[in-house]
Amino acid sequence: MTGDTKAAAKYTLRGTAVTARVGVALGVAVTICFVTGLISHFIQHPQPWFFWPTRPVWLYQFTQGVHVISGIALIPLLVVKLWSVYPKLFERPIIGGLTRQLERASILVLVGSMIFQLSTGIMNIAQWYAFKFFFTTSHYAMAYVAAGAILVHIGVKLPVIRRALGEPLEEIPTGELMPHRGPSRRAVLGGTWLAVGVATVLTAGQTVSWLRHVSLLAPRSGQGPQGVPVNRSAWAAGVLRSAQSPDYRLTVVNGGNSKAFTVAELAAMPQTTHRLPIACVEGWSATADWTGVVLADLVKAVGGSPDSDVRMISLERPGPYSRTVLPARHARDSMTLVALKVNGQTLDLDHGYPCRLIAPTRPGVLQTKWLTRIEVVQ
Amino acid sequence: MTAIRALLVLAGLAVGVYGALLVFDHSTQDVIRIVAWAMIGVLLHDAVFAPVCVALGFAGRRILPHKWWTPVLVAGLLTVILVLLAIPVYSKPGLHLDNLTVLDRNYQAGFWAAVAVVWGAALLYLVGDRLLPVGQNQVVQQQGPDHVDGQPPSVGAGGQQGAGSGEPDGER
Repeated sequence: MTGDTKAAAKYTLRGTAVTARVGVALGVAVTICFVTGLISHFIQHPQPWFFWPTRPVWLYQFTQGVHVISGIALIPLLVVKLWSVYPKLFERPIIGGLTRQLERASILVLVGSMIFQLSTGIMNIAQWYAFKFFFTTSHYAMAYVAAGAILVHIGVKLPVIRRALGEPLEEIPTGELMPHRGPSRRAVLGGTWLAVGVATVLTAGQTVSWLRHVSLLAPRSGQGPQGVPVNRSAWAAGVLRSAQSPDYRLTVVNGGNSKAFTVAELAAMPQTTHRLPIACVEGWSATADWTGVVLADLVKAVGGSPDSDVRMISLERPGPYSRTVLPARHARDSMTLVALKVNGQTLDLDHGYPCRLIAPTRPGVLQTKWLTRIEVVQ
Repeated sequence: MTAIRALLVLAGLAVGVYGALLVFDHSTQDVIRIVAWAMIGVLLHDAVFAPVCVALGFAGRRILPHKWWTPVLVAGLLTVILVLLAIPVYSKPGLHLDNLTVLDRNYQAGFWAAVAVVWGAALLYLVGDRLLPVGQNQVVQQQGPDHVDGQPPSVGAGGQQGAGSGEPDGER
């Protein structure tokens, strides 16, 4: 960084006062993004200690929306944070001692993992898989690398951070200070918060519906068949024929006890309508009126226990998302439906016709579509 | 303080090593791809983006009048963010014809509209700046948050009726 004598003679826009303030915002956003990301991970990979409630029904819509929004907000924060320390890139000596090498290595890990997380995240929400590795596992692993590197960085820089936050943003004018007629540090910080706001407004409409019309760069407008966007089409899932087959049956199994239902038989059962959000891991969400049979009624029809988990199996060929296990808490919930209709219309093929799971507080990817079999887990 | 720092560094190392182990759970080919992606990101930033920003800043300070620097700096930052956000959607590289609910906006029009609004606002700021009394902005921009102007000299016994020239507010 600029030496003290030089700083007294020349006003610099960069400085630890700016770096530390943007750094605090960055730290807060990373924490939010990391925690909401972990929540989404543990819903999809349940652990015995992890508890995920069924109310409020919009809980996952909220946490995952916040995950993507805070991730996008991190982009301007990271750009400005790195800009504020550009002089370090050209610092001499280039090699230096062991401590310097270690510090540089930790910064390399920090910057590399942050760029990795933000670039893969924003590409994933636009379904652009130019990278050839698997997104979810690599994004999850690198989240820990980034979080660890940030903790180390804060540990190393703590005295500098404390000092910088205690000092005024602008250098105290002295007689030696060159007359300054350009932008101030306050303008840099103001511009940063403005950039965060603009990035949020331009993309958050896929989660916050009233921002839809101004979210010009959101990967989704929120439109879709029957007013609900689609993540995986019936064509991509390879179920066009099987879903429309007259031989279609939904089989519900509890050990040796099983029952098969035609679409007409499902429609003849007592129907319930609930207003529930479908919230994708990619951050978009849409709330709709879903109508169908309460899952607990189907489980009861084969003598299943309300304390059992329930496996939902799709017509889709076996793959990572063709089957899910619904925890007992969600399976017995009165709002969990095997839906036949959305917004008053028979489900579109792309929404899972003939029937799909819709449960509160679950990621969209686990709301199994084109259901063919429901098994009470013994 | 030393204890807190040591704790942060140790916790960071533990979390980071756990992440590295998770990375190494991938196939060797994928580990190479993951590390390469991160390092190419750093390289693009350090060797391309940062020098370009420094060069633009250097040139801008010499070419543009002082009054332009603040709006151009802020509009420049916003433009960089718009470009970064537009990259994955501008030409719709992730579009699949079986699902038209993804990438279903006119992103090119949206991007250029946003750029136009940003630079239009910068221009408005410049015009507004020109309409302000000369010099006021530059004075205010150098003041810290704790800045309080000197109080007006008291006039006679009822000195509070001064001309109000010492008003510290009204910075905007």
